[in-house]
Amino acid sequence: MRLEALEFWLEAGPGPLLPEVLAALAAHGEPLRWAITAAESIGDGAAESGGGAGRSRLRLEAVVLCP
Amino acid sequence: MPLTQASPLPTLLVIPTGIGCSIGGFAGDGLPVARLLAAASGCLITHPNVMNGAALYWSDPRLHYVEGWALNRFARGELALAPVRRQRVGLLLDAAMEPELQLRHLQVADACRATLGLSIGPVVITDQAVEVRLTRGESGASWGQLGHPDALLRGAERLCREGATAIAVVTRFPDDHGSGALQAYRQDGGVDPLAGAEAVISHLLGSRFGLPCAHAPAQGPLASEPGLDPRAAAEELGHTFLACVLVGLSRAPDLIPLGSLAKAPPVASGPLDLLHPSRIGVVVAPAGALGGEAVLSCAERGIPLIAVEGNPCLLAVTAEALGLKALKVGSYAEAAGLVLALREGIAPEALGRPLPPLRPL
Repeated sequence: MRLEALEFWLEAGPGPLLPEVLAALAAHGEPLRWAITAAESIGDGAAESGGGAGRSRLRLEAVVLCP
Repeated sequence: MPLTQASPLPTLLVIPTGIGCSIGGFAGDGLPVARLLAAASGCLITHPNVMNGAALYWSDPRLHYVEGWALNRFARGELALAPVRRQRVGLLLDAAMEPELQLRHLQVADACRATLGLSIGPVVITDQAVEVRLTRGESGASWGQLGHPDALLRGAERLCREGATAIAVVTRFPDDHGSGALQAYRQDGGVDPLAGAEAVISHLLGSRFGLPCAHAPAQGPLASEPGLDPRAAAEELGHTFLACVLVGLSRAPDLIPLGSLAKAPPVASGPLDLLHPSRIGVVVAPAGALGGEAVLSCAERGIPLIAVEGNPCLLAVTAEALGLKALKVGSYAEAAGLVLALREGIAPEALGRPLPPLRPL
């Protein structure tokens, strides 16, 4: 088992952010600790909603667990 | 129990660690805020970074001490919290600690047994040095790496076998004799360079063992600092940062996976009120640090979010940037007023002006 540090940008579509973020992290390993450390709206901007209605560009920093 | 105006409003307080939060980014300096919100809500769930002041701590039955990994699961609706009268806190020490440091930590544990009456033990030393390395992300946030995470897991497994119901872990952190980052932290409100690695360690153990868990770093003493920031002063009081961890864990709630609620063992000292995640009434977080799992989970479950603009940090991950609805407040004092309003069933919009007239749909 080893821990791997990650930093990458994710373009999130409209709708809830959490499933998209978790899926992107899971591609690298089991997410142990992560955070969105920068966020920019794309195009028509982020609308007010219950979670990520507009498109956005997110910087993720994380540590994942790899077998 | 029927809801009444006096019923507690379970409130999540999140102050992410290692991002230089002006309040709560230092040595337990989020504690006054936690005490205030606990009084306003009647029930506050928060994480060790908010509560841990090295040799300083505060015990309040309205405050629930829940490590970040478990807090995230609670926010996602996957765990319930079962308050207990006491935990048996196992102590896991990194083999990399020198004998003098190891002795200091064992004596803190003995002091907590003798002076506070805590149940502590067994004690296990890892079979290999953990090799903690401190790192920084592109954002400036502190993170960390472990050379031998397996050594921690083996040690924790042994603690569980020997009957520990919570895990206090101490790992040897690299000494820092005056780097710019340390100077900034001690004098000028910089980022806590240790915090990110601490969170990685406690998340690892929490996720693997499902027990209350918290971490204290072991380091050699620092030279005294005349220009010390009061927010970091709690770390200058003793030889270790362990006392607050032992006190916090001693009454940390049990973590009950919701899938296994029916077969969960009864709490030894008698059933206390189970805190179910469906009861979370509000989450409070710094306005620029909303991009963590607990806040996003709550927002996506429709739980009201209070964003505190008076707690700046390195990040600018705001409600607008993420497309979240938030109740914005300038300070934690204002947040406490809003929590109290929500607890009493008062609509937040009724507290501000102008109050637009209703329009038919």
